[in-house]
Amino acid sequence: MRNLISIADLTNEEIEEIFLLADSADQLRASKVASGQIMATLFYEPSTRTRLSFESAMQRLGGTVISCSDMKASSTAKGETVADTAKVVSSYADVLVVRHNWDGAVQAMAEHADVPIINAGDGGHEHPSQTLCDLYTLRKEKGELKGLTVVICGDLKNGRTIHSLVFALARFGAHVVTLAASGMELPQYVIERLEREYGYHLAPVASNDLSAVVKETDALYLTPKQPHQLALFTQVDQVIQARLNSMATGLRYDAFYMTRKQKERIKEGTSGNSYPTIGVDFLREERFQNTVVMHPLPRVDELSPELDKDRRGIYFKQAAYGVPIRMALLKFLFDRREKKSSAAKTPALAYESSEAVGPQCHNPNCVTLKEPVSTRRRFALFSAGEVGAMILGCVYCDHRFKVQYVGNTKLKRYCPYDATVAATLDDWLKKGELAIFDSIKQAEELGYEPFKSGPQRVLMTEAEINHALVQISGEILRDCRNPDRLLVLGVRSVGAQLARRLAAEIEKQLQRRPELGEIEIYGGGEELRRIAPGDPDAGPLNLKDREVILVDDVIYTGRTVKSALSIIFRSGRPQSVRLAVLIDRGHREVPVRPNYVGKNIPSSENDRVRVKLRGLEQEVRDQVVMYSILSPVASAQSSAIGDGKTAVT
Amino acid sequence: MAETKQVLLEQADLARTLGRMAHEIIEKSANPRELVLIGIRSRGVHLARRLARKIDEIGKFAPPVAVIDVTGYRDDRAQGQLLPPVGAFEIQAAVDDKTVVLIDDVIFRGRTIRAAMEAVERLGRPKRILVAVLIDRGSRELPIRADIIGKNVDAGDGQRVNVMLEESDGIDQVTLADWQGKSAV
Repeated sequence: MRNLISIADLTNEEIEEIFLLADSADQLRASKVASGQIMATLFYEPSTRTRLSFESAMQRLGGTVISCSDMKASSTAKGETVADTAKVVSSYADVLVVRHNWDGAVQAMAEHADVPIINAGDGGHEHPSQTLCDLYTLRKEKGELKGLTVVICGDLKNGRTIHSLVFALARFGAHVVTLAASGMELPQYVIERLEREYGYHLAPVASNDLSAVVKETDALYLTPKQPHQLALFTQVDQVIQARLNSMATGLRYDAFYMTRKQKERIKEGTSGNSYPTIGVDFLREERFQNTVVMHPLPRVDELSPELDKDRRGIYFKQAAYGVPIRMALLKFLFDRREKKSSAAKTPALAYESSEAVGPQCHNPNCVTLKEPVSTRRRFALFSAGEVGAMILGCVYCDHRFKVQYVGNTKLKRYCPYDATVAATLDDWLKKGELAIFDSIKQAEELGYEPFKSGPQRVLMTEAEINHALVQISGEILRDCRNPDRLLVLGVRSVGAQLARRLAAEIEKQLQRRPELGEIEIYGGGEELRRIAPGDPDAGPLNLKDREVILVDDVIYTGRTVKSALSIIFRSGRPQSVRLAVLIDRGHREVPVRPNYVGKNIPSSENDRVRVKLRGLEQEVRDQVVMYSILSPVASAQSSAIGDGKTAVT
Repeated sequence: MAETKQVLLEQADLARTLGRMAHEIIEKSANPRELVLIGIRSRGVHLARRLARKIDEIGKFAPPVAVIDVTGYRDDRAQGQLLPPVGAFEIQAAVDDKTVVLIDDVIFRGRTIRAAMEAVERLGRPKRILVAVLIDRGSRELPIRADIIGKNVDAGDGQRVNVMLEESDGIDQVTLADWQGKSAV
């Protein structure tokens, strides 16, 4: 059984096969190849063209269509997961066509569906059937795809059709020039993939040989008044400007592919950026005599109506090809229903955390964050040669990000990722012992220790920690306006332990116990909960108008606190939030500042400060220690040297 | 009752202050070419544009300026009705691995900055987020700090800091006034 989630699911030969089928759409129609079959269309986002052309295609093939006109008003509104929806609807239909507002949602559904599933657009990710239609149109108009120069302009960040199209054009050997509206540049992961998988170079570029995607053109836009000129946006230096001017005059352009501003994805005000448009002047420019203009539609005002009457405006033709190409696609998938999957996408090295917590996709709109229960957090693993970074790519939404911390599941040790440990990590991966973490905090939550490590230095003793907690609780009470509203929230798990102790200290001074809760930042489940002091009937925590004391053990970059604040404000509206930490070690990356600090400790980035508390991880005493983190390679070497010495003596 | 009003900054003071802030922004960024300024509607935007010009004069590089509106999204806006704690970008910018500077006229409770910080997250992952404000009037309700401050003002709850800018108010002036009327800002 085959699905179409990404254009990468099809080989070039298969795409050509679909084109051939589309050429003979009349025959497909006459022979009713889908007779007796049912297609279900599930659209979580509005659509006219895509949905109607799919439904028309199915009916012309002799099949029937069932549909839910507004998924948001269906059982989804009652909280049904995409996984359950996919399972259920699989038994009603022979093929599913899905559009969803989350990146990667269709992949998640495919993992639970028993029938072929077609992605009709998932968030800002891909829209492969549109891409097939675009390629088909280009080939019909220009004969061949190889060697064409296609300029894609407009919103390259949020336009899902663009991401699919760029990869496909690259595969067929077309040249791509990108002209992004300001702030809507092609995402970095798309550029990196073009470089890595298709050997596209970003710069420099000769004026008459534009066989590369030119990164610098991202800073350009076509001004509404002079659309034939490549006008410079502000932050481009003169060298690039000169290069672009020569490029603009020496080139033959085969096609302009305009996109619509993705209003629903960027929630913009009415005013704002200039957006590239193609108008009357464009048509008069001599070097665009053979340049066709495409647009996935709907258009807003990027295209002058003058263009509709011109032979070069082929966007209505492009829309009309939607039906034959989708007929061909359905036939293609039906023919492969019984066969074993042989998707073109060769799975790269894969990583799935064997630990309870692991790396999270960095794309906030990814299905793995929106609905974790429908997904298994899996990643493709790449190493980026030049910089020596290790990259994870989300299986669902394709977003890529750098690995920060790595560990070994058997040794239960971790260290920051570093190019020097790459070979060791390959070995661990083969043995299934590789663990990847977003942060030290994650590693420590799982009981991992750093690869030791220089000499350990005690920064605070038990007595000093106690003294600091007494002092902090006094300060909290001094600043507190209404002790009844006090709520002490600890960041799990060391912060939560400290929160318990602070609450006990406050109780001593106030003769009343403040309410106590904990925040879990890296878990997949409930983020905020009560630390139950034996009262099972107490309801969920109410944050409204509370004076929240947020407690953590160490503040460093501040990102944990930022996440905690997001969780707090998602859950309610406190009157105030004050932050208490035992240690402030500096190096802030976000603008947060603790209100209460036990001790300030200047530290370097390679240092690790740990608060060890009695009762957590078999610690026998309270103390704060600092040590430096070494890589496993370095520690292996040092132990080898140590062994050598022993042998000599 | 006559309103008592005290002028905190005149036009020349304001220009000098912004010049110093521009220097501080450059100093605090590891690489000025990685700077992205984000102005918070509405006076933060004017300040961001002025700071971008100053940075251009000093460092020969004009950082991109994005614009965000968080007025509709601050958590304290409407009683009972909790709005999503994110702002709307009117002008976007690429922020991945950049040093983002959030710019506003006055920092007070810290709620605006928090909402803006959350909105930035939707654009990408900056290397660092800094906050630059013309006036820090204290009385924070959240553990948020400003990294670059034009002037610290010890304003009581009964006082109001008015930032007036040429672009919107026809005059460059910052005043401290006693609270008048029932409008709450």
